[in-house]
Amino acid sequence: MTDYEAVIGLETHIQLNTVTKVFCSCKADSWFDPPHTNICPVCCGLPGVLPVLNKAVVEKGVLLARAMNAEIRPLSFFDRKNYFYPDLPKGYQISQFDQSLARGGYLDLPIPAAASPDKQAYTRHVTIWKLHIEEDAGKTKVSNQRRLIDFNRCGVPLVEMVTGPDLRTADEAAQYLIRLRQLLRWLGISEADMEKAHLRCDANVSIRVRGETKLNPKTEIKNVNSIDAVREAIAREIERQIREVEAGRHIEAWTLEWDEDSGTLKKMRSKETEADYRYFREPDLLPIRLDEGWQRQILADFPELPLERRARFVEQYNLPEYDADILTSERKLSDYYENTVKSYGGDPKKVSNWLMNDVLRMINDQGLNPQEMQLTPDALAEILKLVDAGTININTGKALLQKVQESGKKPGAIVAEEGLGLVSDDSTIREVCQAVLAESPNEVAAYRAGKVTLIGWFVGGVMKKMRGKADASLARQILEDLLNEKNG
Amino acid sequence: MEICDLNALELARLVRSRQTSAVEVVKSCLERVAQVDGRPGSLEQMPLSDEDKKRVHAFITLTGENALQQAEKVDQMLAAGEDPGVLAGVPFTVKDIFCVQDTLTTAASKILANFTAPYTATPVQRMQDAGAILLGKVNLDEFTYGSSNESSAYQPSPRNPWNTDRVPGGSSGGSAASVAAGEAPLSLGTDTAGSIRQPAAFCGVVGVKPTYGRVSRYGLIAFASSLDCPGPVARDVKDAAAMLGVIAGSDERDATAARLAVPDYLEGIEEGVKGLRIGLSPDYFRITYPDPVSGELLSQPLPEEVARAVTEAAEKLSAMGADIVEGVPMPNTRFGIPAYFVISRVEAASNLHRYDGVKYGLRSEAPTADLKEMYKITRNQGFGPQPKLRILMGMYVSAAQYSEQYYRRALQVRTLIRQDFEAIFDPAGAYRLDALLTPTTPTTAFKMASLYGDSVLMQYADQLTVPANHAGVPGISLPAGLDNEGLPIGIQLLGADYAEKTLFRAARAYEMTTQEEDWRKQKPEVLRGRS
Amino acid sequence: MSEQITKEVFDHLVGLAALQLEMEQAEYLRKQLNNQLKAIAELEAIPLEKDVPISLHGVPYEASLSAPPREDEWKPYPDPAGILAQAPQVVDGYIVVPDIPHTELK
Repeated sequence: MTDYEAVIGLETHIQLNTVTKVFCSCKADSWFDPPHTNICPVCCGLPGVLPVLNKAVVEKGVLLARAMNAEIRPLSFFDRKNYFYPDLPKGYQISQFDQSLARGGYLDLPIPAAASPDKQAYTRHVTIWKLHIEEDAGKTKVSNQRRLIDFNRCGVPLVEMVTGPDLRTADEAAQYLIRLRQLLRWLGISEADMEKAHLRCDANVSIRVRGETKLNPKTEIKNVNSIDAVREAIAREIERQIREVEAGRHIEAWTLEWDEDSGTLKKMRSKETEADYRYFREPDLLPIRLDEGWQRQILADFPELPLERRARFVEQYNLPEYDADILTSERKLSDYYENTVKSYGGDPKKVSNWLMNDVLRMINDQGLNPQEMQLTPDALAEILKLVDAGTININTGKALLQKVQESGKKPGAIVAEEGLGLVSDDSTIREVCQAVLAESPNEVAAYRAGKVTLIGWFVGGVMKKMRGKADASLARQILEDLLNEKNG
Repeated sequence: MEICDLNALELARLVRSRQTSAVEVVKSCLERVAQVDGRPGSLEQMPLSDEDKKRVHAFITLTGENALQQAEKVDQMLAAGEDPGVLAGVPFTVKDIFCVQDTLTTAASKILANFTAPYTATPVQRMQDAGAILLGKVNLDEFTYGSSNESSAYQPSPRNPWNTDRVPGGSSGGSAASVAAGEAPLSLGTDTAGSIRQPAAFCGVVGVKPTYGRVSRYGLIAFASSLDCPGPVARDVKDAAAMLGVIAGSDERDATAARLAVPDYLEGIEEGVKGLRIGLSPDYFRITYPDPVSGELLSQPLPEEVARAVTEAAEKLSAMGADIVEGVPMPNTRFGIPAYFVISRVEAASNLHRYDGVKYGLRSEAPTADLKEMYKITRNQGFGPQPKLRILMGMYVSAAQYSEQYYRRALQVRTLIRQDFEAIFDPAGAYRLDALLTPTTPTTAFKMASLYGDSVLMQYADQLTVPANHAGVPGISLPAGLDNEGLPIGIQLLGADYAEKTLFRAARAYEMTTQEEDWRKQKPEVLRGRS
Repeated sequence: MSEQITKEVFDHLVGLAALQLEMEQAEYLRKQLNNQLKAIAELEAIPLEKDVPISLHGVPYEASLSAPPREDEWKPYPDPAGILAQAPQVVDGYIVVPDIPHTELK
């Protein structure tokens, strides 16, 4: 059988998490709001209104462009994309066409062994063909052969980002979205929740005989709203195209719709003649001027990116890739880890173990934000140091995590307050020993009669009373002293 | 002379000094409207009566009740010692292309027939904040698309107060007619290719097209967004200057409104023209247009009367000390209309996309289960022929395969036109002009129905005004006599970016030196026989 | 000069424009369009240096004249219901329009 490879390009629409819309001062997020409540004359395209650009949209767009290694244009323009649709109140979408915010760019996408056909990890170089700012349209839904429209989403800021046809498998497409989502959250520019359409993805899929370089007619898959669904839909479409070609049929440039419920692709209405959007410069807006000063300001706190940090963690802290991957999955967690390592000063792998086993569970179970936890990196480091110093044992240390988180007190203070430290104070242990002996006259008598192996039993009693915190060798010595004392 | 015939600054002075009241002023204007305006423009088709043919028909919506209430407020403020603003008690009309809250805003189109604006346009708001009183919304060509006002869906369309068989010009015909007929001393118009200056010239009043971006476009229903300029229509230069001072300035709702302080346009306005360099260009003394049949370019000189008004004005300015510079080349003037045909259509077609029957305005009552069908029926019923023409032409010249040939080229030609102006106003250049003096229009007001229907010839009426729109520079049209039929002739002064103050100074000098001329004493036909 | 906007081209434009014209008006408009194109044809004859820049607005917008972008601050519009009230048909807060008929293609 012929060996085929898939050629996949992804068109993503990223909803930026600004407070307000891109061209008016309405609230951007309407997820929980009734229809037509976050609207104003501007986003509803009333006669006579004009758009005014939101600064934060440009700033977030620049962060993304930089992260994708794209070249940021010092002067970029808005254009009108003209078409009729009831969710597009002005009859045109304000977008960017030929002189957009950024040009070029790429992402070196690590493909883990698990997502690799031959179970060998590798890197896929994905080029970025388009990166521009645009406004979202409203929402429509069909009910009783009528179309219901809600303008709340009109004017929500989007970045459209389109890859080259560089992806080769459904898994690579999924990995791209996973990394993109991670990056968007890392940069704090989008919630990137596909279920809420903060991150939308259309996939262009074609196949060719492996080794060929030409591009064959592609289909476009729309309406996919989870990463798993993207993977699934692309895999199905690749299979379908191979079947078609094997059967001697041609692939036609269809638009396909993913039906989540049945897990099948359905053909959408065939595209009418290729739409002519009659793009032209938006005369109501001036170009975006990203002079050096503004760019510098935006990029002043540009963070180390997740893939860079992941590599550094492996290198600098000797972490296994697995640990590094998890610890860089999210920026706040990653910062938390690194701050703990610094505060602790000991073995970074030990910090990783505590974090991944215990702290992460707390975070996940309780829905905590690492940045706002009472169990701060310093507190976690202190607990680790207390265990290292033998002040508390490991179990106590782990129990302390939740206590610190709940109370906000310093671990040392809790240890002191609740007496959780290993007790090495002579008089405290002596009192407990005396009590144990007083409660067990028969055993004392037996010991004194020569059954000295009972010493272990007495020590156990003391440890039980002290809930494990006593220094066992000291207790043993005191017990022996007391038992022998009475004899002498 | 009645109160309503006084100019705006005089009215404001009388009201502020409480020699008359704002209510009296408004009443006087409303009386004038009742006397001369006839029935307002309406969507109902009614044949024109002989009576109708003698009236001005400036208004679509008269807001008399509201105006009286506003006037009372102004009077109360004055009684309480408060300052209602520099235009306290001055009535003004607004071209019905601006949104005014809770008022019908029609754009003279059926497609917006039932639209009530939920907000007020910035320049209108600024007038009201300065104490001016909105008298009503006046007629215009549908969506401002025209030079005669005849394309309004609201008929009868306005008629020229100097001769009601003539058009008032357009598209701000209602504005110019209402000011000329003494219905209001001021009107807010818009100028995309000459739509303030041309009707001002036809109606014998002053019209100003400010520098693009000098006045906010927020609330102005867009025609060609890169060319549209709101501006004043007034009976004299000082009133126009005062009004521009009120409406100009940056606006957080319009990104293209220039961030530049607004000067006091009245300050030094009567200092005269001594030392000003004023140019005359041969390129503004002929018009060039294509033969309607062959498409061959024809060129002809302007009517002698029009040309003479300009040269005589130059002589008078010279006599007052201005340096007149003749032979100033403006070689790209004649490309203004072809470039305008392209740029304005592309922008207009896009700006008209939003009228689709979905969220406001007209929706066809014809039952249909098909969205596209609804769009088509609605737009066919709602738009008159002028918007349809502009939409179709816009579609054609901006289609992907033609946009290079037409649209891009037109934007390059706009650069050439701009360069003409930059060269003559360059303080280090060969001409170093302060203003260019030209005729405003190739002809005086033409007869109703004489051009309407021929979209090409109609457009060429704007040949002398449209270059300023391409270049963004300011221009003012002011009356400069009457032709042998007693129709007003307008002359135009064009200036460098944001040089309105210089234009006002030169225009005011001309106005002062001609104050006692006979033609100044003539009244528009509709006002004759009044004391 | 031959007609540039043929009936066929014209019909395409009418479709793009979401219009639907009566025959008589269609003929009038088509004739006017062709006349206008003759006027526009002058543009093509203008000798243009290749590097003539385009002007989006006549007035140049230097940075000092350009308004800075808006701050990202929420200012709720006071009367969204007033906007909705302009719509010809509303159900449960949604604007209603006819559906877009789907032609199921095999």
